[in-house]
Amino acid sequence: MLTRDSKLQTLTVVLLIGAVFSLATLVARLGAFHIPGNQQGYAPEQPIAFSHRLHAGELLIDCKYCHSGAETSRHAGIPATSVCMNCHSIVTDTLGSIRAEDELAKEEKRTARRMVSGELQKIYDSLALDEEMKTKPGKVPKPIEWIKVHNLPDFVYFNHSAHVSMNVACDRCHGAVETMERVRQVEDLSMGWCVNCHRTVNHTGIAGTPVDASLDCAACHY
Amino acid sequence: MSDNSSKEYWKSLERRSDGVRPLPVAGDEFASVPDAPGGERKGVELRRRDFLAAAGFVLGSATLSGCARAPVEKAIPYLVAPETIVPGRATYYASTCGACSAGCGMVVKNRDGRAIKVEGNAEHPVSHGGLCAVGQASVLGLYDSHRLEHPLQDGQEATWEVVDSEVTHRFDAMRKSGAAVRLLTGTVTSPTKRRVIQAFLKSFPNAKHIEYAMLSTSAICGAHRKTHGQSVVPRYSFDKAAVIVGFDADFLGTWLSPVAFTAGWSKGRRADVDTKNFSYHAQFESRLTVTGGKADRRVAIAPAQLGSVMNRLASLLATRAGVAFGATGDDTDVHAPVIEGLAARLWHARGKSLVVCGSQDVATQIVCNFINHMLGNYGATLDIARPFAEGEASDTGAQELLRELQSGSVDALIIDNVDPVYDLPNGAEFEAAIKQAGLVVSVADRINDTSKLATYVCPDHHYLESWGDVTLGGGFVGFQQPVMRALFDTRSVLESLSIWSASGSHKSDQALVRETWGDQVAWNMAIHDGFARISELRVASATFRNAAVKPIVDAGRPSGQELALVLYPKVAMRDGRHASNPWLHEMPDPITKVVWDNYASIAEDTAGKLGIETGDVVRVTLADGKSPAIELPALVQPAQHDQVVAIALGYGHPESARFKQVGPAWLEGKPTLGDNGLVGTNAAKLLTYRDGTLRLSGEHVSIAKTNRTHSLACTQDYHNIEIPASLVLPGMDRRRPMIQETTLAAYERDGTLPSHGYDAHHKDLGDLWPDDHKYEGYHWGMAIDLTTCTGCSACVVSCQVENNVPVVGRDEVARKRIMHWLRIDRYYSDSEGTTDILHQPVMCQHCDNAPCETVCPVLATAHSEEGLNMQTYNRCVGTRYCANNCPYKVRRFNWFDYAHEDTLANMALNPDITVRTRGVMEKCSLCVQRIEEARIEAKKQGIPIADGDIKTACQQSCPAGSIVFGDMNDPKSAVSKLIKSGRHYRMLEETNVKPSVGYLGLVRNRDENEDPTHHG
Repeated sequence: MLTRDSKLQTLTVVLLIGAVFSLATLVARLGAFHIPGNQQGYAPEQPIAFSHRLHAGELLIDCKYCHSGAETSRHAGIPATSVCMNCHSIVTDTLGSIRAEDELAKEEKRTARRMVSGELQKIYDSLALDEEMKTKPGKVPKPIEWIKVHNLPDFVYFNHSAHVSMNVACDRCHGAVETMERVRQVEDLSMGWCVNCHRTVNHTGIAGTPVDASLDCAACHY
Repeated sequence: MSDNSSKEYWKSLERRSDGVRPLPVAGDEFASVPDAPGGERKGVELRRRDFLAAAGFVLGSATLSGCARAPVEKAIPYLVAPETIVPGRATYYASTCGACSAGCGMVVKNRDGRAIKVEGNAEHPVSHGGLCAVGQASVLGLYDSHRLEHPLQDGQEATWEVVDSEVTHRFDAMRKSGAAVRLLTGTVTSPTKRRVIQAFLKSFPNAKHIEYAMLSTSAICGAHRKTHGQSVVPRYSFDKAAVIVGFDADFLGTWLSPVAFTAGWSKGRRADVDTKNFSYHAQFESRLTVTGGKADRRVAIAPAQLGSVMNRLASLLATRAGVAFGATGDDTDVHAPVIEGLAARLWHARGKSLVVCGSQDVATQIVCNFINHMLGNYGATLDIARPFAEGEASDTGAQELLRELQSGSVDALIIDNVDPVYDLPNGAEFEAAIKQAGLVVSVADRINDTSKLATYVCPDHHYLESWGDVTLGGGFVGFQQPVMRALFDTRSVLESLSIWSASGSHKSDQALVRETWGDQVAWNMAIHDGFARISELRVASATFRNAAVKPIVDAGRPSGQELALVLYPKVAMRDGRHASNPWLHEMPDPITKVVWDNYASIAEDTAGKLGIETGDVVRVTLADGKSPAIELPALVQPAQHDQVVAIALGYGHPESARFKQVGPAWLEGKPTLGDNGLVGTNAAKLLTYRDGTLRLSGEHVSIAKTNRTHSLACTQDYHNIEIPASLVLPGMDRRRPMIQETTLAAYERDGTLPSHGYDAHHKDLGDLWPDDHKYEGYHWGMAIDLTTCTGCSACVVSCQVENNVPVVGRDEVARKRIMHWLRIDRYYSDSEGTTDILHQPVMCQHCDNAPCETVCPVLATAHSEEGLNMQTYNRCVGTRYCANNCPYKVRRFNWFDYAHEDTLANMALNPDITVRTRGVMEKCSLCVQRIEEARIEAKKQGIPIADGDIKTACQQSCPAGSIVFGDMNDPKSAVSKLIKSGRHYRMLEETNVKPSVGYLGLVRNRDENEDPTHHG
């Protein structure tokens, strides 16, 4: 039989453990806490496993080759499928698999088939093309539905061209995209983060050029 | 110099002080219960428990929604990127407005493949950069969910192939059999359309083209056929006229081509540029119009007096010219001295004057031509060699067609974009008769009263989706081009007629327009500009035929106390073809400030005699009893002739039934529609035919009170700027001199506005923190010239389109919750026995010492470095302190999430502007999006923003160029020059809020002894 005191002791211990546990959880949660709307770290899976590391990092393709609106428009833009086809009508698969097919074709004494990798096939499908770049009968072209990673709220106006033309580097906001296999939101894109940079560059300039970055609410909110 | 406050300005009859009645209390800025009769309600009580329950629910749901991840958004690119489209970057196309037949030039903004805004084309030879409210609103017609998406056969969806093959088959048979084919259209102003119609009908042995319009130009055409041998409407040049006389012609509001006329008229009214050549404008009219409101001398006459007044003027001028004229007119008329003075002025300004007449009577128009002829105005201010339009000389065509239909002799009837069942007085007869035709093909964009009778309905493109051309007069032709791909499976009427023609050749509308002009125009240039100069369209024999001139015979004084009916097109609604456009319904009428209704306007005295008050439903019956009576609410209207009952056309349109759902749905919401399930009442039934023309005015009517009432939503007493009744000191006038005016004579002498002692010693109160805001870069400001502002409200609609301002519906307007960022205050003032009308556009004044900013608890409204008063929606928590503290009453609160369910209409939203949610305050931003856009472009080029690079939406649309925006820090900017003008003043200067928006006082061309500031 437990005494009343021991009952109380047990209860205290249990409660204490509980309290410590919840506190620990809370602290852990607080560390990862994002205020609603903060999508920092967001890296959704895309319909095509497009690698920025390969294209921008390894092949050194300029960001603006695909995101051509960045210099002229509010939106940098997601490239049209036709832009992918500028290269991928020629480059269709890894060298390894093309060579393997060549070898196999030689052995089987036939002409080598055009190899199109699984991911690229999705681009061809989107344009309703077969491996030989011929229109597939009965198929309707359908654009690729990419998942937006950097998503500002509707009450913010952001203009890419205003920043790019002032020589703000892409990675200043987007991070080292050229190292990312799948694109991830690096910065929190909060207003404080925007305003800090606007304040800083007004003192430091960008790449040695003085700039006049507005701190007015109406620069972004209207 | 006397004090300006001696002249009294009042907004409504209730607020006109007669020395006995105390000024009524304006009421709360945000009334929750409509002030108007019929607004009684039982209060909804909110108990503590309910409040806590609701608060708990809100807190709970906010927490839950706050925890959720933002929804996944997709970015869907093009498959093959079009070369010219960069997502997020607008492209602009020049075109010609198709909202009415005036043919104003426009530049259409296309964003991401869809047209979102239309603006005036500044280089256009006719409209000179302005665009009216109807034109501004017409972009919404593109995204109208009632548009037909495909052709119909017997009311069922069909394909063009099926329709074409069947229609062509039937037409081929008719070509052989000689069957009667009739084509009914509105007034055709497109040379290509005329050509295609002629080519189409030529192949039939028995075919006829009938044109008709509810607001036709047949009397003008008929008169010119008689006096000049040409059935034309001349091109009028108001800019070249030093003396302008209007007889029942609302040329600044609705008559023929109001944008072009306003542009021309305002050129002669630039008080700061040239006081010597300031024009003189007299207006004789029966109801009050915006044109009459701007006149230097306005005379209210009954419709029956028009002939006598014009006869008198013609005879006085004939005596001077030494020409015979059969009558002397009535020299005992009360207006005789005015007419005599006018005759002298006109004679002095021979060849530099212009007399226009809006009458639908050919005899009256002939006298008008005669007057202009004697004054040598033909060839100077009127051009018939290169006319504005050519047209039918009578309105009888449609009635002849009706008789043909009734006799069953019409085998095929093609109806092109007109709705005679709605807009002709005997529409019901048409409805019955159309069923008699063997084959009915309708070219309409929707199912309406007429197209529902058709076997085949072949939907036309919206004008922004099709190619076209318009004769502009003066040797110009305007071009229309598609500014976006057609939304639906529709087809241009030009194409349809070409396919159904004998040759059966399928030509595109583009090919057809191009074929018309051939080498006459440089095609690419013409499409780029939206217009082209062409070689003379016609050479008219301009010799005036004196033999045609006869005095107006039915001239005479109004007999007894009979009331005369005046039907008129409203500035926003015109002939009703845009009745499906909510922006136009919610635009307060420039004169009455009523929204979402038409009404019978009755003069004050007449209303008093009949015991009628505003809001009483009255029955209006034609004295001859030929037409059924109509019932509609009455409105007591100052400055209208006693013997006139004025009713707007274009209302009671079946299309307006759709507005059942407009505005927020909530417990206490009341319907926008009237008892008839429509917006307003169709007055077209009261139109009459006389001497071959369709008459809008002059018929005798009787008016009887019913015992019903219908409260009108009227904004005229909203947003009053007065000293609150609780703060007023004895002897102090609660009104403040918001509007200031002078006469030309006084302004020439003094170069300033009359001193209004009241604020002179308040002028420079200094600042507590003079160095707080230095405005070192740009300092944006605006100046609005009240002399040229006509109150036409193009700016109101333009602002609404540009800034995604929601439509709230009739009941919400009655609760003072209209959302327009820009309102036009209309004041009356009594002067010399007549009543003057003054308009003043009021938007956020962007005060340097803004009272709203200091009271916002969350800094949602703050001051920019460039003098803008900014509003940050996402920060606003909706305390409404700012609105309470705003002396100009320009802040608008979102009481609801206004409907955005119509996903098609949402395509007209401006993607650069936040769509505001419930519970936030909004107001004019001086089009900060346009400032930012210009700034970004200038920064990219490394140059400063030049004066004129930024045009606010209101400024852009203004046909009179009354609104000027720019940098006040730049001494060379247009706005800086206007600020230096002696007419410049700011509202409530004595409060030291230092507004950035200023006004230029109204100048009327009056003699010193007519100086409005020199009596009392």
